[in-house]
Amino acid sequence: MVSHAQTHRLESGGLIDRSAPLNFRFDGKTFAGFQGDTLASALIANGVKLVGRSFKYHRPRGILTSGSEEPNALVELRTGARREPNTKATTAELYDGLEAASQNCWPSLRHDLMAVNQLFSPIFVAGFYYKTFMWPAKFWEAIYEPAIRRAAGLGRAAGVADPDHYDKAWAHCDVLIAGSGPAGLAAALAAGRSGARVILCEEDFALGGRLLADGGMIDGMPAAEWTSRTLAELATLPDVRIMNRTTLFGVYDGGTYGAIERVNDHLPSPPEHQVRQRLWRIVAKRCVVAAGAIERPIVFAGNDTPGVMMASAMRTYVARYAATPAKRIALFTNNEDGWRTVETALGAGLQIAAVVDARLDVSAAHRALAAKAGFPVLNGSVAGVEGGKDGVRKISISLTGGARAEVEADGLAVSGGWNPAVGLTSYHRGRPKWQDDISAFVPDGAPPGMVAAGAANGAFGLGACLSQGFAAGAAAAQSPGHNGSAGTPPVADDETFSLTRLWHVAGKGKAFVDYQHDVTASDIELAQREGFESVEHLKRYTTLGMATDQGKTSNVAGLAILAAVSGKSIPETGTTIYRPPYVPVAIGAFAGHHRDEDFHATRLTPSHHWAAEQGAVFVDTGLWKRAQWYPRAGEKDWLESVTREVKAVRSGVGFCDVSTLGKIDVHGPDAGAFLDRVYINTFSNLAVGKARYGLMLREDGMVYDDGTTSRLAEDHYFLTTTTAKAGPVMQHLEFCRQVLFPQLDVQLTSVSDQWAQFSIAGPKTRDLLREIVDPAEDLLNEAFPFMGAREVALRGGIKARLFRISFSGEMAFEISVPARYGDALVRNLMLAGKQFGVTPYGTEALGVMRIEKGHVAGPELNGTTTAADLGHGKMMSTKKDFIGCVMAGREALAAADRQVVVGIKPTDKKRRLRSGAHVIPKGEIPGSASSQGYVTSVCFSPTLDQWIGLALVERGRERIGEIVHAHDPLRGEDYDVELCNPVFYDPDGGRQRG
Amino acid sequence: MRIVCPFCGERELGEFSYLGDAKPVRPAAGAPEDDVFDYVYLRDNIAGAMSEHWYHAGGCRAWLKITRNTLTHEISSVEPAAGAGAAEVGA
Amino acid sequence: MSSCAIPSFTIRMEGASVAEFSWPPRSPLEHALVAGAYGVREVAPGIFLTEVRNFELIQVMARRGKGAELASATTARFGMAAPDVPKAVSASDVMLIWSGPDQFLVLSKGGKYTINTLSQAFSQSASLSDQSHARAWISVSGAKARTMLAKLSSIDLHPTAFPIGAAAATSIDHTSVNLWRGDDGPDGQAVFNLLLFATFAGSLWQTMLDAGAEYGVDIRHSEEFA
Repeated sequence: MVSHAQTHRLESGGLIDRSAPLNFRFDGKTFAGFQGDTLASALIANGVKLVGRSFKYHRPRGILTSGSEEPNALVELRTGARREPNTKATTAELYDGLEAASQNCWPSLRHDLMAVNQLFSPIFVAGFYYKTFMWPAKFWEAIYEPAIRRAAGLGRAAGVADPDHYDKAWAHCDVLIAGSGPAGLAAALAAGRSGARVILCEEDFALGGRLLADGGMIDGMPAAEWTSRTLAELATLPDVRIMNRTTLFGVYDGGTYGAIERVNDHLPSPPEHQVRQRLWRIVAKRCVVAAGAIERPIVFAGNDTPGVMMASAMRTYVARYAATPAKRIALFTNNEDGWRTVETALGAGLQIAAVVDARLDVSAAHRALAAKAGFPVLNGSVAGVEGGKDGVRKISISLTGGARAEVEADGLAVSGGWNPAVGLTSYHRGRPKWQDDISAFVPDGAPPGMVAAGAANGAFGLGACLSQGFAAGAAAAQSPGHNGSAGTPPVADDETFSLTRLWHVAGKGKAFVDYQHDVTASDIELAQREGFESVEHLKRYTTLGMATDQGKTSNVAGLAILAAVSGKSIPETGTTIYRPPYVPVAIGAFAGHHRDEDFHATRLTPSHHWAAEQGAVFVDTGLWKRAQWYPRAGEKDWLESVTREVKAVRSGVGFCDVSTLGKIDVHGPDAGAFLDRVYINTFSNLAVGKARYGLMLREDGMVYDDGTTSRLAEDHYFLTTTTAKAGPVMQHLEFCRQVLFPQLDVQLTSVSDQWAQFSIAGPKTRDLLREIVDPAEDLLNEAFPFMGAREVALRGGIKARLFRISFSGEMAFEISVPARYGDALVRNLMLAGKQFGVTPYGTEALGVMRIEKGHVAGPELNGTTTAADLGHGKMMSTKKDFIGCVMAGREALAAADRQVVVGIKPTDKKRRLRSGAHVIPKGEIPGSASSQGYVTSVCFSPTLDQWIGLALVERGRERIGEIVHAHDPLRGEDYDVELCNPVFYDPDGGRQRG
Repeated sequence: MRIVCPFCGERELGEFSYLGDAKPVRPAAGAPEDDVFDYVYLRDNIAGAMSEHWYHAGGCRAWLKITRNTLTHEISSVEPAAGAGAAEVGA
Repeated sequence: MSSCAIPSFTIRMEGASVAEFSWPPRSPLEHALVAGAYGVREVAPGIFLTEVRNFELIQVMARRGKGAELASATTARFGMAAPDVPKAVSASDVMLIWSGPDQFLVLSKGGKYTINTLSQAFSQSASLSDQSHARAWISVSGAKARTMLAKLSSIDLHPTAFPIGAAAATSIDHTSVNLWRGDDGPDGQAVFNLLLFATFAGSLWQTMLDAGAEYGVDIRHSEEFA
């Protein structure tokens, strides 16, 4: 398709690369632009004025600004999975093949049927959500909200996973500078020359800030030359880092700053192995905010007509991009700075229709310019704009004194003065202060280490920007101790400042304050009449400043209008709280690398890759991947595999990787005394070479964790925790060691990753071990009884630790070897165990066997159970102080009617049990009042050939044999179960001692 | 937020985990139940400078007693727990 | 692990067959580490990742009140003092790496300073734990090493903040690591060393590769003590 001609591109000039033409599409039409354009400047160069429809009323909108404050020109950028809604055309860099679409219009931008909303505008006034959709309440979710979201709203999300990658990085510096305008560059020069480590962030792709469009003379040379010389000097300083395309969006405690770098947003897609965006956390000792100022609109009827544009943006498009938003321009200003647009436009050969200046004292020089160029200077204000989706046609003016005038123009530049960008300086709940001489809010203090300079500090003149920036940069370098010479500061003259306050021109027709949220001056007046006088209330009631632009162009005008109608001054009215981020930041950037499989780090056991070779099914257990079961060919479901594994263990031998248990070396002369304080039972009297089951409480008396701890030497215990609590228990024990009992000579080290540990269980366990363990080691009961623990030699010279402990109820050992031998150990166990039918088993079979044996685990150690609830009340020593001992004796924790662990089995042997069901006495109506507990763990027991479970039931142990009712409202199940001894299997323990 | 660990130097918040009020002292063995109850459950909720236990979990694993202003996050002091490192304790 | 030689034994199988069994140590990175190039290949690699596989790592923690005894035992055993601030000191065959208050790691070539050889020397002054199998050791160098590590570590690795010999007990991906800077490489570039928890190593390795891919990564493993 042939590109449309760039009808609004100047023949020469601008900072675009005319040797690099680019094609792009907007709403399906192909256009041409140049390298160095933004989407907005390229659209302007092609004469496109209408770029979007407004949020509520679907009014036609054009481009208002040339920066990240843009409220109107939001587009859907890119297509398919990369489609990104609400992207500002004013900051989107043009690339070849760029595709963008206008949003919030249907069926098309030019013929938007939703514009009918304008006819119903009375219902969309301030607070319309609250007034209109009050009743009936259930209609909100079903009808109102979806309808509003269709009609009002922003762009469409891609709806599919983002194909790009994002990452996060840290940076550290002495001096962080926000902005590369004259103040920022001067600050970087001073700080860099002093020897400080400097990072300068600039959100634009080009460096120079307003110098890029406004020029001026610095140190006797044109601004562009000074900028390039300055950048060249900064490039020679090794510790000065300039980051363009990077917005400093937030300041956090302790000198930590957030920045978003758009690494590859200027390309169709990131090059291979590169990220789209990078989130920076920058740690800076000092920060100089040289973020400039934002020109503010004046509120008047029709001020949202396409072709009405901020004066500074108008001249930016002309000077920087050689693109002409209009050919016959009117200017409406209340201040001196607006006239620069006239000078720029005339310089580019454009026509000036008129200047409407609200000030009485227009300078003689400007009057002379007007006379020379042949345009009128009208004292007064713009009262209305005639035009539509094709742009401005005519402007009507109220002249001072009451007369009216009309001027024909195809563009209207507006300048209501400048607001310093006070976001960063105010993010720690700082409130900017009103500075009367410039009629603007300026920073009033800043977070620790931060200072504002230049226009961000209310110093608008070029000379003042340079001197403030330079001084701030030098001071910021000095405080971290960099005393190198900052050299000579750059100098320039200040421009004249003159402004007459004008916020709102009364008139007929909608006069917009917040363009993006369609908040008008009359909305604010209405809200005030309805009592929303606090600026924070006004904001929430009207949604002023709550759109994606966060009110960068609207907030000050909004509160000025509120001040006027409530008869207060602007400082009395105040501002709302400023909060980061300064610009929208993609969630993907905050996630960085941590998505999909990389959402969190993963832990693998030493036998993981062997288990994967066996085709094991893995389950996520915290950060771990654990083998859940090992399916074999022909098995139809998990239950069949798990049943086989259980039967193989109970009749022969099997093994399971239990390396995930937390393992802690407890060393020192006081190790035993220390364990006595953290466990409810005593460990100081444990013999060397023995293991003991231990239970820890929280200080409030509830069970915290359990595990076996072995004494390997007089001053060395080896403590194990549950998989889930490995980290928390280590932290808890360090708290006990360092804070509670510092006098004890004990040292703790996590050795969780040092040991590969396997449980080997089943009647043939000893037969299998004999094949692996050195023949000199005696594994018989006399030499290695139940709960024995010691080091043994394995065949081949490896040392291992053997613990004769059993979770399954079978004759069992746990064997641990240094982790790098874990893989060899499983392979050798398989080889040596072939003759015994050795069977690897996973966490499901492990769970089945522990339920059969009545051992408690996570579902019972749930933070609400006491030792007695779990059947371990007698373990609790009465002869010593330990964590939780006093609170465990509280009346309620020792009450007779507590819910305690008991076994359950269905009266109908074929019935499947499910955990979570409530236990209700027979004959009572199920409900919260009649619930006496709940089912915690269930399994199909291959040994008993039926489902069994554990439950926490009031007085459960006294009620063995009672039939109760299981009520499962979640699944709609009701059935009877019998309360029984929780030890279903080998209650005498003969097998594990065998 | 950044915390200056007395052993490691200045580190970012993510390396630390927070426990809470460091004022309550664990009663000695045999203390009345009421004292233990207060120790376990009574906590001040101060808008201002507060003494807190923090753990340098992602660093040297020292427990720290930190005075932090809960309104501003300003940290005015960081001390190691009595038994952190403390090869000297009992010497 | 204690030695390069792979211990093995022979097992009698029922029915007279005889099978050989061996105990080859397997690095936690054996599966994840694929020697060669990763990521961008059009440029010279900006990152060199080398896993060192054959080492002893012993955690030494002073006992209460035994700081002075530990210091003299350390000097007697290694001919140098253990660092009492976050630093790593080295001799030709051993490094002492600060790991926390009154504790340090002894890192040596496989078989050199094992838990058994050290326990006698420190029996009166310190508690020792063998961590030789609990960590994976990775050295990171190359022109982009610091740039890549900035994606993983919140520590300031600028030469003025983290000179040769600096060490840190810190975290990557919420996982504890020991990080220290060794002597510069022959190319004059900084060399950073990481001890990762073994069970996390595969996952963190992938994170490192992702972070380094855009600079080009050269992947190796080595049995040589750096």
